[in-house]
Amino acid sequence: MIPLVSPNTIGDAPSVRVIATPPAVTSLAGRAEAAGFAVVAAPTWPQSPADIAPPAVAGFVTSSFSPLAIEAARRCFEQLANSMAGTAETEASSTGVIIVSSLGDIAGARHVAQTVDAGTRVGPLLFFQCVPNAVAGHIAARWGLVGPVICLGDERSALDAAGLLIEDVDAGAVLLIRVEQAATADEPDRAEAVLLTASAPAHERSRA
Amino acid sequence: MTDAVHLARHPVALRGPEPVVISAAAVASAFGRGVEPLLSAVLDGAPGFQAVRRFDVAQRRVGVAATLPGSPSLGDELDRVIGEACDEAGLSPALRAQSPLYLAVHGDPDLPRVSGAEAGRHGADAFARSVAKRSGLSDETARAYTSACVAASTAVADAAAAVARGRVSRVVVAAGYLVDPDQFALFDAGRALAPDGRVRPFSARRGGLLLGDGLGAVVIESAAAAARRGVKALARLAGWGRAGDAYHVCRPRPDGAGLARAITAAAQRASIRAEAIGYVNAHGSGTAHSDAAEAAALHSALGESAETVPVSSTKSVHGQALEAGALVELIVTLHTLRAGQLPVNAGYLGPDEECRLNLVLAPGQTRSIDYALSINSAFGGANTALLVGAP
Repeated sequence: MIPLVSPNTIGDAPSVRVIATPPAVTSLAGRAEAAGFAVVAAPTWPQSPADIAPPAVAGFVTSSFSPLAIEAARRCFEQLANSMAGTAETEASSTGVIIVSSLGDIAGARHVAQTVDAGTRVGPLLFFQCVPNAVAGHIAARWGLVGPVICLGDERSALDAAGLLIEDVDAGAVLLIRVEQAATADEPDRAEAVLLTASAPAHERSRA
Repeated sequence: MTDAVHLARHPVALRGPEPVVISAAAVASAFGRGVEPLLSAVLDGAPGFQAVRRFDVAQRRVGVAATLPGSPSLGDELDRVIGEACDEAGLSPALRAQSPLYLAVHGDPDLPRVSGAEAGRHGADAFARSVAKRSGLSDETARAYTSACVAASTAVADAAAAVARGRVSRVVVAAGYLVDPDQFALFDAGRALAPDGRVRPFSARRGGLLLGDGLGAVVIESAAAAARRGVKALARLAGWGRAGDAYHVCRPRPDGAGLARAITAAAQRASIRAEAIGYVNAHGSGTAHSDAAEAAALHSALGESAETVPVSSTKSVHGQALEAGALVELIVTLHTLRAGQLPVNAGYLGPDEECRLNLVLAPGQTRSIDYALSINSAFGGANTALLVGAP
């Protein structure tokens, strides 16, 4: 069972319990821990030299933004399943989804701008993927996450929003995914995901 | 508490103890700058749609939107509404400098056309910080919400949650969308725009949405903070809720369960029963699936009250302002609460059995309202509900 805490524990002193691979301090996971969350899983993209392009996802075209977010989410739930040795019951039903990106789907936006400036028609599939909500909806549907869906431009605000969602019981956990596509040809696409819960209270830690 | 709601497997929504108020609001729309021209239009049910002249629409299936004259600058218009709201709230420069800005926008409008080297300076977060700095607000704590049609309502809900918990005394929430060629092309390509040039929420033969300019700013703060300045609140922000569908990339759950949970959470936070709600400003995009799902959500969350509570979608008048739409509609809702005059659900052609609601179909209807509800849904199955109460 994922250590999802009840609301009355949330005000207790924060602690950190990392079930997945311990993150580097410069990572989203490290900053989430520093903010007082328990980080249940924390994959990244790229994770190895084999991570050249994320797997294609039916319905998403032209841009890597949504496939990156989906692959980060898939790795998150894969880590979760491995860490629980297949015996756990997840609480996905109350998990919220937060997508964080400063530039958003910049590849898609540039494609649309170039198409419009050229005086031609954009493809209909681009319509629904023009906002980050779309991939959040894909992820929520695929893993059954019925908590709130939020898209923000920076990580600190996203962690703050995640904390309030959990504290006010809008969500029992939050899947926070950060995607930053390469803005120039010599940069890699990057994505990180963390599955966050409130930290365990001090009295529970002492019994562990 | 409302007893008409379904809470299966979902805990009761909590909130912090601080009462939350909206102490000021400023808006701009196709009808002009300020709340009066917008209110006049929604109360008359007079749509503002006309041929788009801001950019070339010759290649588009539909060429209609509700726009301000010319090609206004998003940054300039945001500066204007934020300044107006802060002035109305009586915020000194010192108080402004302490106030975070939660800004709902699609992003920096320049981003898609700047070079790669420049892109880093044009992120949504950087855009929010620059708006905050120009407005004298706290640029260090400014943030950008990009959650499509629930961006602004999510920002309001997050602001309310933070104020209620005492994390901050005040948040300025602003939002802006100006009809632009890129989004227009996308919505046209997705065949989302109404080919007959009218938005007909919850109506038979409704054919889709139309885009509209929208800008707004509200000051959300603790009742105590407003009282200390001697400012009389426009409304209490009594409740707020957010929930997801977990259903589809862009289609809403047909049973409206996600939106119903958002409404339920808002009612729980306000500690009111469904029948206390005297008006609903609906999302009402005018699209077939969305309106039917929204009607189902209202019936699920409000029970029998859904048959009688007056409902209108003012998108039928001012259009769909995307990331800013929910804030424009919240401002319409709180003025409806104050004046008791009901906005019209324009464009109605006849009943749809899937949308059994008490729609406001004619101008001039008045009602004493204690609580009014503004609801919104977006791609990705994101749903929000905001409940305002008389101050």
